[in-house]
Amino acid sequence: MRVPYSWIKEFLDIDIPAEDVAQRLNETGIETVVEKFGKKVENSVVVKITSVKKHPERDKLLICEATDGKRKYQVVTAAKNVFEGAKVILAKVGARIKDLVIKPVKFGSVLSEGMFLSLEELGISEKAEGIFILPDDVKEGEDPNRLLGLGEEDIFEIEITPNRGDALSVRGLSREIGAVFGIKRKEKLPVVSIAQEEIPQIELLTEKAYRYRGVIIKGVTVKPSPFDIQLKLIKSGQNPINNIVDITNYILLQEGQPLHAFDLKKIEGGIKIRNAKKGEKIITLDGEERSLRPEDIVISDNSKVLAIAGIIGGENSKVDENTTDILLEAAVFDNISVRKTSKRLALSTESSYRFERGVDIENLPNAQDKAIELITKLADGEAFGEKDIYPDPYEPREIKLREKTTKRVLGFSISKEKAKQILERLEIPTQIVEDGTVSKIPAFRSMDLEREIDLVEEVGRLEGLNKAKETFPKIPVESFRKSEEFQFELRTRDFFKDSGFDEVVTYTFVDEEIYNILGIPVPPIRIKNYLLKTQSIMRDNLAVSLIKTLIHNLRFQNRDIKIFEISSVFFEEHEEIRTGMLATGKAVKGFNYTKGNRSFSTQISWDFLKLKGVIESYLKTLGFFDIQLRPSEKSYLNPYESAELFIEGQNVGYIGRIHPKKADILEIPKDVYISELKLRYVLRKLSDTAVEKEGYLFNLFKNRPLPVFKELPKFPSVKRDIAFEVDESVQVDKLLKAIKESSEHVGRVELFDVYYIDENRKSVAVSVDFRAEDRSLSDEEVNSIVKDMIESLKDKFKGLKLRT
Amino acid sequence: MNLKDQIESLGKEAVELIKKVESLDKLNSLRVEYLGKKGKLKTILKTLGKLSPEERKEIGQLANRIKEQIEDLIKEKEVQLKEKALEEELKKHKIDITLPSAWIEAGSSHPIISTLVEISQIFISMGFSVAEGPEVEKEEYNFDMLNIPKDHPARDMQDTFFLNNGDLLRTHTSPVQIRTMLTRKPPIAVIAPGRVYRKDADPTHSPMFHQIEGLLVDTDVTFTDLKGILKIFLESVFGKNVGIRFRPSYFPFTEPSAEVDISCTVCGGEGCRVCKGTGWLEILGCGMVDPNVFEAVSIDPEKYTGFAFGLGIERIAMLKYRINDIRLLFENDMRFNHQFKGIR
Repeated sequence: MRVPYSWIKEFLDIDIPAEDVAQRLNETGIETVVEKFGKKVENSVVVKITSVKKHPERDKLLICEATDGKRKYQVVTAAKNVFEGAKVILAKVGARIKDLVIKPVKFGSVLSEGMFLSLEELGISEKAEGIFILPDDVKEGEDPNRLLGLGEEDIFEIEITPNRGDALSVRGLSREIGAVFGIKRKEKLPVVSIAQEEIPQIELLTEKAYRYRGVIIKGVTVKPSPFDIQLKLIKSGQNPINNIVDITNYILLQEGQPLHAFDLKKIEGGIKIRNAKKGEKIITLDGEERSLRPEDIVISDNSKVLAIAGIIGGENSKVDENTTDILLEAAVFDNISVRKTSKRLALSTESSYRFERGVDIENLPNAQDKAIELITKLADGEAFGEKDIYPDPYEPREIKLREKTTKRVLGFSISKEKAKQILERLEIPTQIVEDGTVSKIPAFRSMDLEREIDLVEEVGRLEGLNKAKETFPKIPVESFRKSEEFQFELRTRDFFKDSGFDEVVTYTFVDEEIYNILGIPVPPIRIKNYLLKTQSIMRDNLAVSLIKTLIHNLRFQNRDIKIFEISSVFFEEHEEIRTGMLATGKAVKGFNYTKGNRSFSTQISWDFLKLKGVIESYLKTLGFFDIQLRPSEKSYLNPYESAELFIEGQNVGYIGRIHPKKADILEIPKDVYISELKLRYVLRKLSDTAVEKEGYLFNLFKNRPLPVFKELPKFPSVKRDIAFEVDESVQVDKLLKAIKESSEHVGRVELFDVYYIDENRKSVAVSVDFRAEDRSLSDEEVNSIVKDMIESLKDKFKGLKLRT
Repeated sequence: MNLKDQIESLGKEAVELIKKVESLDKLNSLRVEYLGKKGKLKTILKTLGKLSPEERKEIGQLANRIKEQIEDLIKEKEVQLKEKALEEELKKHKIDITLPSAWIEAGSSHPIISTLVEISQIFISMGFSVAEGPEVEKEEYNFDMLNIPKDHPARDMQDTFFLNNGDLLRTHTSPVQIRTMLTRKPPIAVIAPGRVYRKDADPTHSPMFHQIEGLLVDTDVTFTDLKGILKIFLESVFGKNVGIRFRPSYFPFTEPSAEVDISCTVCGGEGCRVCKGTGWLEILGCGMVDPNVFEAVSIDPEKYTGFAFGLGIERIAMLKYRINDIRLLFENDMRFNHQFKGIR
């Protein structure tokens, strides 16, 4: 909201610099910035256009003759709204507009001696169409800077929080400033006489209108408003239209009371305030046809809808230049009803904005009378009759503010005397009682002040929250255990960072397209009112986001990527925290040095086993040593280089290489390795319990047994190297496990060589330690153990034999 | 030359030769030549039998002394030569120590997460614990129970993404307050870091961003307590000298409410482009828990009071690292991310 300081001064005898006013408003809860109105333009003058003719050579240009009363100017303009007799502002030769210095310029054969200015060039509005036409009552030859107060007048740019509808007007803001500075507000009350000749017919057929006052005014002349009204509107950021419309806007800005003027001759029969009928339509003042629903409140006559209550008028009854008689409406409509209709129609107006935030029902006649006074004066109208329907007059509610509540909430005391003083400055009648104060809440604060706490806030903010001295609460000692999840994630984050992965943060909403490419079902949760279609699906895995990040980086020739993210994925009934990793290109960027031959290379690239190593290493830091891998069936992974990871039979994630076909479609390298681990379950329903959910590392981590110390071996072990030949299909991991389990005397088993003999056979060589707890094993004993082991392995593994 | 002289000159001869030796092989052959079974010393001593016992004893002692002298010298020389040989061997395999390292380089931290963790740790160290909630949230928890009724203009303060399942993407971390108070009894001291969503996208707004919510509920928590806690927090993040300003404001779920400004971290309060000339930066919102919120979660507002605060992580991270466009934080262009190595 833009409010000229000069307008405030009509309600307050105040001489405080605007900056100080703004600062105090900020300190007491109304965000305020001071700006100057427009920009000063030296070498400018008000001129009257005396003739307008077409440029002989250029279609789009007009040649205007203008005078400032002393001399004549010839000005070429492209603006279409100039006309003979118009008063406009001329920037003369030498004037500076932004970075342009005005010089005499020839357009074809015609010389232009200046430039007519729009509101944009005057620094008044961001964008303006056409030249700024001044009202007729301005004299040519005037200095526009002085006339408009360019670069001088202080304008408050104010942001009102949704609870403070009472401050959405010059009058309301003056009340607030008055309270802040302890200055009593003044008000010039309107003097009107309303005849009882023609009482408007008004029927209130809904409970959603709390008050409706209609006044018939006849004999008006619709014409432009005088300069001072126009200027106030412009300074408040509005465009003048005609005197009747301008006066309703003027009162809305000044009083916060929306008004609407109907052309009385366009109304058939009486006015009804009612719910819309199903299928009813109206063309509103913005030219749009609007379909109405029964929950919308409308103003209608006998045959048609005239206006949508509290939001906007209709074309069919609008005031135009031929209007002579009007019905001036002042009403208060239900805030929720107005808001619902306004939201549904996506139509927010100055009027609906104020009704949503509450309009002072008690000030209605005062505001409307001020409008009538102006219309009588400026449009020659005469008030013929009024009707005020106000079925349930406002009864102030009483609220008690206890001294002890103030102290209990704010931490510092405000005496009841002080509280009374503050509240009365806010024009809230207040009495002192034994343990505090009792206030009668006036209508203008009825939306906002409902409870004791609301008054605590009022006295607190005006007393000054900023100056209150800090205290330090005792914070209840809670078990550190409660941040376990957080610490678990930190641990995970540190591990992957330390392992060389760069941390990324990606959007959790993704594109449907990538799911189609990867050949996986599009997840169920979608954003209905998305900003971008490509950001409308709530992802159910991290891979899609990591692949997108890779693609983004490939655009900048960054081929070596190792990234991880800890973030959410979304399912129908729950959410998960996962960590996802993606690695491609070189694993290590530096040089590899081989001592023997003094050769250097940089060829340490990612492969399945390297990423698996990272994942296993992470899992081991969490105390998981027994990790099972089973082939993965994920459609976007290479089926021969991918695995699902299991701990204690629970699927905790996967690891794999991108499927080459998908890599081709995505135009990414084929050596992309991806892994995801399910860290945690996030409750959505309060009745759910995370602990029961399986397959999450955090739960497994919390429940894992602690290591139990075992005595160190007392007797030396015997080491044997054994080489097996097995079928290609035999999984090494299983073979190693079987060796380990073949005898109680098997200790450490270390794989030291694997190679493929041919397509169907491979060689697996291991080094095995044998030991007993109570003695040194003899060679014969070891031989016998090995022999038994080989026999048992032969049963379990296809084509296993000893290599010699 | 008598035997004594012979032995002494043999000794001298050997010492001279050993001193000049430059290889272990040569040293070994000298050892054999002089001290071996058929070596020069043994050869001379073979004539010992012809001497009288007194002379024999004297010569024997001399020979032993010379032998020991040579042996010591050889040992000493041997150590020297081995040292030299090793030095040469090492030198042969000298490397350029300035070659790039060949180990995994630690990854970069993301400035958002880094800031989020830093702030969380400050509150954890003060005794708060971490609470959480889902990002797909019920309208009830995100709005209604936070005293933001369905048809209230306060809903316009946060542009919401609605989902096809009837829920929404939480617009703030405040629903975690509700979830916490529904499941725990006061005293409560929690923070809730997390992702939140608003339908907004420009250089300073991202449709997904991060917040930290804080909540303290106990029998006698006051607004000045809130000021105390936030002062400690802001001074930990922005330094002891940071200016702090509380401006009364409005949030439906707190009353009284305030916005907190800090003195501009760029110009120090002089006024600059970052603070739009005001010298102040809006950094967080806070207030005393509204009694309506307490009632919604069945906590008696006559018995308990509480404070809550919420702050945007991106804004703080952007101020801290002078990042001028929020979108950079979510693009994950490694040329950007790699600038944040070495932060926590």
